[in-house]
Amino acid sequence: MSFLIRQTLIYAIPLMIVALAGVFAERSGIINLALEGIMIFGAFIGVLFVRLVQQWGWFEAAYKAKDILGLQSFVFLAMLAAGVLGALFSMLLAFAAINLKADQTIGGTALNLLAPALVLFLIRLIANQNTLQMAKGDSASWFMLKESMFGYGVGRGVNKTPSMGFLGQVFVNKVFPITYVCILIFVVLAIILYKTKFGLRLRSCGENPQAADSLGINVMRMRYIGVGISGALAGMGGFVYAMTTANCSSDGTVAGFGFLALAVMIFGNWKPLNIAGAALLFGMFKCIAASYTSLDINGDGVYLLKNLGINTNLYRLLPYLITLVVLAFTSKSSRAPKAEGVPYDKGAR
Amino acid sequence: MKKFLALFLVLALMVPCFAMAEAVNPDDIADTVTSADGKYEIAFVTDVGQLKDKSFNQGTWNGVKAYAAANGKTYKYYQPANGDAATDDDRYDAMKAACEAGAKVVVCAGFMQGTALAQAAAEYPEVKFVFIDGWAFDGLNNVAGIAFKEEQCGYFAGYAVVMDGFTKLGFSGGGGGTNPACARYGYGFVQGAEAAAKVKGVDVEVRYSWQYGAAFSASPELQTMISGWYETGTEIVFACGGSMFSSIAAAASANDAFVVGVDVDQSGESETVVTSAMKGLSAATEWAVAKVFEGTFDEIGGKATSLGVAENAVGLPTETWGLETYTVAEYEQLFADVLAGTVVIDGTDLFNDEIAKVEFEKVTVKYE
Repeated sequence: MSFLIRQTLIYAIPLMIVALAGVFAERSGIINLALEGIMIFGAFIGVLFVRLVQQWGWFEAAYKAKDILGLQSFVFLAMLAAGVLGALFSMLLAFAAINLKADQTIGGTALNLLAPALVLFLIRLIANQNTLQMAKGDSASWFMLKESMFGYGVGRGVNKTPSMGFLGQVFVNKVFPITYVCILIFVVLAIILYKTKFGLRLRSCGENPQAADSLGINVMRMRYIGVGISGALAGMGGFVYAMTTANCSSDGTVAGFGFLALAVMIFGNWKPLNIAGAALLFGMFKCIAASYTSLDINGDGVYLLKNLGINTNLYRLLPYLITLVVLAFTSKSSRAPKAEGVPYDKGAR
Repeated sequence: MKKFLALFLVLALMVPCFAMAEAVNPDDIADTVTSADGKYEIAFVTDVGQLKDKSFNQGTWNGVKAYAAANGKTYKYYQPANGDAATDDDRYDAMKAACEAGAKVVVCAGFMQGTALAQAAAEYPEVKFVFIDGWAFDGLNNVAGIAFKEEQCGYFAGYAVVMDGFTKLGFSGGGGGTNPACARYGYGFVQGAEAAAKVKGVDVEVRYSWQYGAAFSASPELQTMISGWYETGTEIVFACGGSMFSSIAAAASANDAFVVGVDVDQSGESETVVTSAMKGLSAATEWAVAKVFEGTFDEIGGKATSLGVAENAVGLPTETWGLETYTVAEYEQLFADVLAGTVVIDGTDLFNDEIAKVEFEKVTVKYE
């Protein structure tokens, strides 16, 4: 059970934060199809940051001393770098869509095509191979919290100290603290979007930019901010994905998580709370698909899903099947921001 | 006086150079060299997965580089287009490019290159081909097939970990269940575990899977699956497939569990590695390439050579021994027994779920 919850969170967090990235862009009136591309770019930047800093040996002492705070601030800095560069990368889309009034769908697709090519090119230059990895060690031994750090579950066999309770197992053991930072950012940004003046202005630019402009809101600026936040979140989401599920490596792909995040955003009806729910749902099915043979929900030693004897491929199909079914049922009632995808034209009525 | 001093300094500088040439770390040899006449004498065509997979491709490549560096030959690697989805045409194109660039010998890694290699070898009869993990072709005397007895080193690894006290093992193999080398590794691993379980009188469980390994690559799904294994009691997993190692080691590290490496000594890659089932890729490649330039290629050309304990081409890394109760001496005794033929290991290729149909006394194979 604790395994299922923990793994679900690992898959759900990047989806959630990247879907929120989509919300910020679309609420400001720009369709951000480039989420996948920005994620790929962000993952690359974050991994590169970790690799370079490891090569410079800055946090070597913290690693040797098992200094949790030091290592966590290291990974936080890497996420920050991914966010900043992700925001910069998204400015390409913003410039094309806002200043040049280009078709936003095509602009986003262009970034999706550009990112993997650019990233692979750079990785080949840097590492002479197709995957960029950490300079040393693996993501778990550097950046993961384990119960053994707090004196629980140490040793082998009968000498093993007792392990943490259920809550500890779910929320502390084998967890990357940056996922909690992501949840915090998610909550804060959701509040900003709905409960502040700035949020209201941003949303108005996505619904009726002409009206917003007539009240003195700089629509262009708002849209740049919307896309910038979107890029930062997607870049961070990409790095979190690489850190938690890909052993802190980057190979020019994030396995379609950016597109899945778009689906989550639509399914969540462009609203943060619904998005969180949708992300958890997808995350759970992704987790079930990969590890159904080891899932023991009530802890009685019986692997129900494995014993059902259903073909593996059906389980692997589930997350995508669920996406399709859920979208088919919910898309009728979902309502996109009204002015999204339309370049802002001051003279239009 | 000045001249003497200069001479002395030059000599003093040269001494460390010579000393270093004795034991060259393959990672210190450049992966790309620029040839003055645009010709590259030794070519390497990679298998699926990356060049630097810290395993199969890299092990073979190190052999190429080591020979070339020691003998002043030019060398170049070719990665077939389309990565993991490379077709026979892509591989043929890579081999053709190598031959056109003046290769005297083309080293091809991986059994999947067979079709392309037969075509290229027939077209360029004057070029020699070394087919690692491969076989010979009728009428093509310029191809040397070199295979390994992976079941032997798999056996050593399985025997060693069970003797060391592990009873819940896992095997995660690459190639989707149809790769002969991985199939031999897996079957040997289980046979070794069975033999050790009989000696110790314990029951051993082996979870056996080809899932998420078809492309020999790391993936979040593989990491989740192996995490699930460790969570539910598996103690050590044999990571049998190139870059899959990264996902499996990450899962092991997160669970404070253990890994058996493959093809080369992988203990330097992760602290979770207790031992590795090694085959002497570098040495065998170097040996075969040397035959081309020494003019003795006919000894292996047109034939399939299978290297095992007799050639000292398979084994466990004794210098980075990570096992606690099973000792190097015990391992060397086992090695000698296999060499003498008192321990017999079945080298059949058991594809897909065929392993689940084999009867074992002490080992339960849970095929997934």
